[in-house]
Amino acid sequence: MRGKGTVTPLSSVFSVEDTQKAAKRVQDTIAQKDLELDHLRGFAADNTDLINLVARLPEHLHHDIMVPFGKAAFFPGRLVHTNEFMVLLGEGYYAERTSKQTVDILNRRGKVLESQVDSLKAMVQDLKAEASFFNATATEAAEGLVEIVEDYEEESSSDRECTPKQDYANNSRAVIAQPADEDEEFARMMARMDELEKEEREAESHMAQSDEDEQLQHGLHQLSDQKSLHGNLKISEYQSRKPPEQTKDGIASNEDSFTDVPSGSGLVSKYEDKVSHENILGRDVKSVAEKDLVSPVVENVQTVPLSRSQVSLESSKPKFDREKAFTGSIVEHADNLQIKSRERTTAISQSSASQVSKPVSRFKMQRK
Amino acid sequence: MGSSSAQRELQRELEAKANDLSKIQKDISKNHQVRKKYTIQLGENELVLKELDLLSEDANVFKLIGPVLVKQDLAEARANVRKRIEYISAELKRLDATLQDMEEKQNSKKEAIFKVQQRIQSLQAGKAKA
Repeated sequence: MRGKGTVTPLSSVFSVEDTQKAAKRVQDTIAQKDLELDHLRGFAADNTDLINLVARLPEHLHHDIMVPFGKAAFFPGRLVHTNEFMVLLGEGYYAERTSKQTVDILNRRGKVLESQVDSLKAMVQDLKAEASFFNATATEAAEGLVEIVEDYEEESSSDRECTPKQDYANNSRAVIAQPADEDEEFARMMARMDELEKEEREAESHMAQSDEDEQLQHGLHQLSDQKSLHGNLKISEYQSRKPPEQTKDGIASNEDSFTDVPSGSGLVSKYEDKVSHENILGRDVKSVAEKDLVSPVVENVQTVPLSRSQVSLESSKPKFDREKAFTGSIVEHADNLQIKSRERTTAISQSSASQVSKPVSRFKMQRK
Repeated sequence: MGSSSAQRELQRELEAKANDLSKIQKDISKNHQVRKKYTIQLGENELVLKELDLLSEDANVFKLIGPVLVKQDLAEARANVRKRIEYISAELKRLDATLQDMEEKQNSKKEAIFKVQQRIQSLQAGKAKA
């Protein structure tokens, strides 16, 4: 096994001219197939026209027409027996048919043409993919790209094989937590769907709810970003602005989150988590939110705080947008945004280790 | 002097082989064209047979022979078309076999050419050293 893989200029494996030639050839083939496709499409159009004509002819006993005579001359004539057709079946065989039977035959023929068009289209698509590949290779070779793609992949995969333990030691927590995270994410998505369905019916209570959300979040922001001077001010502001229709549970959870503040290292993650939980589940199932408030907190503090926090960070982004949409009248939005981003950065700096390792682990999971 | 004459010999051999190869490739492309034609005919015949099978027994069927339409018996027409399909299928099979044969020949020729080229290269390398 090579330690680092070999560095080879791509142009030495595929010469620029050759790849360009290959690309050109594929392009030529594509042009040819396109021509064929046009041809077939023309046939199909002719066929439909013919079907229309044949279907219309027997509507009258006779038609006055101009009969072509030679290449340049016409003379007036009259079509009679408008329901008798001599249909060319192919290979020199003709059959006497009525208008209806002829239309049937023509329809069958149209179907055959259609299938041919489809197959040709698929072929052209394949060729186009091939051509784009050749072009990419040609440009890469022309740019003097070094290191073959296969080489690189082999290197990384061997890397993974050689040092999986180290990797997993680094990411072990994230890896272990991942399935749970995904489940949770799924649950959140489903919950959000439910929420969206109910939004119209409960527009009123939703306003109240999102107010509550915002308060929670603001509280969180103040708590996580303790340098912010207007923090204390805002708490009082929010408390006073609590809408009267807010439920007891909501208040309780609010107070919960406020009183729990100094409890530990997973500060940001815990509150983010709570907020998003409540945001999704809170309105219709308050008790569930309450329950969730208890268990994830323990979990967070103990084992998987950072990966969880990341997930909730992710989910908090769209939530913020939604907030903006529904409580546009609230003045602090710009402020909120600012704090939000600041809070995010602090969160990132706090949990930078797992923030970095998490995407890597996800990548690895994909590659597995 | 001896080496250069040997090289010329090899050069000539290479040329001859390249000619053979191009001839084979031409044959292959011709084979492809013929095959394409037959495949199209086969498709057409199958369509005709399908339509003939769909016709009722009392339908009038004609065959265009030269400038005139000749009335034909429906059963006879069906038998004719069927026979034609059989013939075309057999022909396609034959063409496939010859194509395979030619491709094998082409590959062996390619290999031979590659060998000759290698020999020429080694000769040239030896000359450069000397």
